Amino acid sequence: MQRILIVDDEERIRLLYQKELSRGGYEVDTTGTGKEALEKVSKGKFSAVILDIELPDISGLEVLQKLREIAPETPIILNSAYTTYKSDFQSWLANDYIVKSSDLESLKLKIRQLVDTR
Amino acid sequence: MKTCDISPEATDLSLDSVIWDSLNHLGIGLFQLNKEGYITRFNAVAAGILALDHHGAWDDLHISKIDCILATGLADQFEDIIRGSLMFVRRNLSCTNRRGRFMVLNLLCNSIPADDKAGGGALGIVEDCAMAYQEASGANGARQQLHILSEVAAVLSSSFDLGQILKVILTGATASQGLGFNRAFLFLYDEQNAQLNGHMAVGPSSAEEAGHIWKRLDSMRLSLNELLDTHDSDADGKTDALTGVITGLHVNLNSDSLISSACKSGTWINLETVEEIDPVTKTFVDTLGTSRIALVPMVSKGKLMGLLAADNYITQQPISDEAVELLQALANQAAVAMERAKLYDAERERAQQLEQMNIQLAESQDQIIKIEKMSVIGELTSAVAHELRNPLTIVGGFANLLLKSNLSDEQREYLNIISSEVKRTESVVDHVLDFSRASKNESRTLEFSALVKQALELLQGRLRRRDIQMSLSLAPEKLMVHGNQDQLSHAIYQTLKLVAENVIPPGSAEVRTECKDERANLLVKISCPDADREKTVKALQKTFADDKASQRLTVLVAVETIKYHGGDFGLAAGNDGLPYLYIELPLIHEGYADATHIDCG
Repeated sequence: MQRILIVDDEERIRLLYQKELSRGGYEVDTTGTGKEALEKVSKGKFSAVILDIELPDISGLEVLQKLREIAPETPIILNSAYTTYKSDFQSWLANDYIVKSSDLESLKLKIRQLVDTR
Repeated sequence: MKTCDISPEATDLSLDSVIWDSLNHLGIGLFQLNKEGYITRFNAVAAGILALDHHGAWDDLHISKIDCILATGLADQFEDIIRGSLMFVRRNLSCTNRRGRFMVLNLLCNSIPADDKAGGGALGIVEDCAMAYQEASGANGARQQLHILSEVAAVLSSSFDLGQILKVILTGATASQGLGFNRAFLFLYDEQNAQLNGHMAVGPSSAEEAGHIWKRLDSMRLSLNELLDTHDSDADGKTDALTGVITGLHVNLNSDSLISSACKSGTWINLETVEEIDPVTKTFVDTLGTSRIALVPMVSKGKLMGLLAADNYITQQPISDEAVELLQALANQAAVAMERAKLYDAERERAQQLEQMNIQLAESQDQIIKIEKMSVIGELTSAVAHELRNPLTIVGGFANLLLKSNLSDEQREYLNIISSEVKRTESVVDHVLDFSRASKNESRTLEFSALVKQALELLQGRLRRRDIQMSLSLAPEKLMVHGNQDQLSHAIYQTLKLVAENVIPPGSAEVRTECKDERANLLVKISCPDADREKTVKALQKTFADDKASQRLTVLVAVETIKYHGGDFGLAAGNDGLPYLYIELPLIHEGYADATHIDCG
């Protein structure tokens, strides 16, 4: 089963994504901090990481950079309430950028494209 | 041709003829006019003064054909006397007869009753007192000259109007109450091309015209001060006609000529006393029609301002060096006044520019304050919008999740309402966030056409997918505007996007930028077949003019953005019945610090 890591400081967002992606047949793990996200990726293999940018401890963009060093092959989707980070060159390290929305279809589509093509 | 054969001695030796003859010895001319105005009798002195030919054509003896009478402007008054008016006396009339004799005449004319044996007409007594007049003038010369110069100086010092000053100079040179030259010509110095350019002239072009003008001036009985103050070109002569003679006349001062020498040395020349004239000066005097002319350079603080030329073309009175010296004194005063007027004009122009810049600066400050306010609002709305995004995602996301479970119809209906309302609110948040993001950037000088081009490039993918063509035509000149790049780009992009959404595929639209009335304009016009015209018009009006349209927020943000930048946004009726969309922004010069508006002609 494909494993997906959700990194978001908002607990209910984590819950929503977990429920939705589980229904899609993914095994979902979640965390609310950047530090824990780095630990989880170091210890286990994930098919994709859904990463929020506004995290309480470390900036999501910094986490992204470190994840690229730890697990360069793992697809990472930036998921933010802001569109501004799209123009930040650091965000280009991510495989994709999705603005948070109640409609999760585009998020699921991106995950499918990234995970299933590997 | 009818000829006459009249001589003073032809009459009988009566007392009458003794009187006629005796007046010759006193140097007094006597002549008689018949009731038609012809001179029928005259003594030798009158013959000399009036240049009468005893054996000439009869018509030449009509009083209106006598040159010196014409020049005094009195021909009409002779006619009046013949018709029975009271006699007239005139003194010190300057004129020249047809033989070139300059005279200062005292003239008396009285009517002869019709019942006299002469059968009516008029009797004239004439005396040439040129010598006596010149002696008297000489005695009062210094006082007179001082008076003239002081009056001219008083008028010149009270004016900063260059045109008015030039007229005063010419009037002072030609008025009989002034220097009394018949004609005066003014040439202005063109420093860039080192040449004199004919600018303005005053004076009559013929003896007849001189008669009319001088008669009118005589009847007005103005003092020099009053005459200078009127600045009435008609009072000085036919300015336009004579000015036409020198318009287009240029004298190159790099040439080796008397004129050039006078201008370079700052000294006057009386061509009356010069025997050899160089080709340049010859062409100059030929154009003016006389070589008996005075040339006076106009110099202020060593700087050449122009050249004043004056002559006695009508009266042929010789020009004395004393008269030229007086003309030079007038020219010197005039040159100072001209330089002062030019400096005043330059200062006034600078003051106007400064005033204009202050106005523009104030406008720019207002605009900057507005943009700053927008920036603060933008930051605030950004924070609020972001805080809304997460709860919306959660509410909408769980609603969508629930919709995938087993629900009653009623539950499904309610959840669908929640889901669609959340989507609508998310759309609002998107716009607010896009706009507030734009608000954070600082304002700067931008090229309007480049913004439009960039926005259209961003739209290309969307246009291709919908099979829509948007042609772009950019203004040839740079359209520099001032503003927030992101805000303006966003407004232009959203506008083009909304227009594109109204094009019925496969359709097209024309996007054009242009410079008009100091504004950078963007015009967007849809082309469509007649069958789609009504639908397209309705769609455009709904999008851009309907308050309830779903894109209303997008349109509002675009409109407000353009207005905050001092521009205008709207939908206007096109010639073909299809509305077109326009965005206008005020143009500025490149380098915004000056904030000067561009004249795009």
